[in-house]
Amino acid sequence: MSSYVKSILFALTTAVICSFLLTAASAGLKGFQLENIDVDKKKNILMAVGLVDSEEPYQKKDILDLYGENIQSFRVSLEGEVVSRDKASEASLPIYIYQKDREITSYIIPVNTRGLWGKIFGYLALNSDGSTVTGFTVYKHSETPGLGGEIEKRWFQKNFEGKKILDKAGSFASISIAKGFLPESFPQDKLPNYVDGISGATLTGKYLTAGLKNVLQAYEPVSIKFRTKQSIQIREK
Amino acid sequence: MKLTKTKHYKAFSVPLLQENPISRQMLGICSALAVTVQMKTAIVMGLSLTFVLSFSNLAISLMRNVIPRNIRMIVELSVIASLVIVADEILRAFLYDISKQLSVFVGLIITNCIVMGRAETYALGHSPGLSFMDGLGNGAGYSSVLISVAFIRELLGSGKLLGYQVIPSMAYDLGYENMGFMLLAPAAFIIIGLLVWLQNWLTSDR
Repeated sequence: MSSYVKSILFALTTAVICSFLLTAASAGLKGFQLENIDVDKKKNILMAVGLVDSEEPYQKKDILDLYGENIQSFRVSLEGEVVSRDKASEASLPIYIYQKDREITSYIIPVNTRGLWGKIFGYLALNSDGSTVTGFTVYKHSETPGLGGEIEKRWFQKNFEGKKILDKAGSFASISIAKGFLPESFPQDKLPNYVDGISGATLTGKYLTAGLKNVLQAYEPVSIKFRTKQSIQIREK
Repeated sequence: MKLTKTKHYKAFSVPLLQENPISRQMLGICSALAVTVQMKTAIVMGLSLTFVLSFSNLAISLMRNVIPRNIRMIVELSVIASLVIVADEILRAFLYDISKQLSVFVGLIITNCIVMGRAETYALGHSPGLSFMDGLGNGAGYSSVLISVAFIRELLGSGKLLGYQVIPSMAYDLGYENMGFMLLAPAAFIIIGLLVWLQNWLTSDR
């Protein structure tokens, strides 16, 4: 047998063995991983409303308990009406409600947008006044670590707290990520609609700004309901 | 024969200090800068590398007499890459938060010079048992440097160890402040430099 054939056979065998090993690891651990991803999403929802501190360690059970006690998930139609789960169509949007003492404190909308290298997934929590942001989190992204990847860090997300999605005149303005830090000369009346950006990650900021605008626009009917204090009909499960 | 005189013990202990991969051979610095802000990530990273390194050494040493010379590097790389992916999957299943913090750095073990270097220079020429011990030793050497650096950075940078506050709040009231510089990558450079100096000073024949 020539040495070429031998090399090719050896490479083939190695590849097959390695791929079996990888398939086994991936298939065998999938259940655990999916569970972790689910808990992580719930943790991010709790972080967005300020029930969980990202710096503190939490047990899986604590997260699930906190989530079960405080958060309810619904689907709303494009007009902002709550639709029942079985009638939920493609055109309805998911929304999470944080209730404290039977009062809606805030509502959380999932953010799912394009980033520079891949999709960015996160949550944006808005106060029940329909305009103030209470928190923003990112749980999955493929941005460059150290640059765009900073969007998952607390210092960046903290900037969103207390910002408004309405401008001074009361019309929809969304929230924009500035290019680098906001300069001191930044006009005061625009300040509630802008957050500090990440220097070196202008494009990530640009895509995220566009993504937030799209998402907030889509949920605007719901936000208007909150703003005008119309009751949102939610039935207890 | 005493345990400390055996070949296997030597294969383990020499890379631990005298031939430490980071402080002596200056390999694997990249990850040492990136994951040493906290002890937790440093420990997990050290364990992952030790796992990959010892088993890749073992596997390659077992195959050393049958690997065709012309494709040996490709074979080494596929063994290492597979092990790294397995390690990453395990972290994702059982230590999800830490695996998120380590992000790309577990995957980058594939390109860590220590792993490939040990496969090429040691595992190809030694028995499986010795190679495995060599992997463990190098892994432990790497981990020990990582953990020492992380210890200093976490203590001075955020006043914590393993996530628990160790500097009492009284100290902060008296005007003590965390050293923000320790959280940045250049701090790791300086600490590693000091560790290298310390090691050279300790091991030099004075």
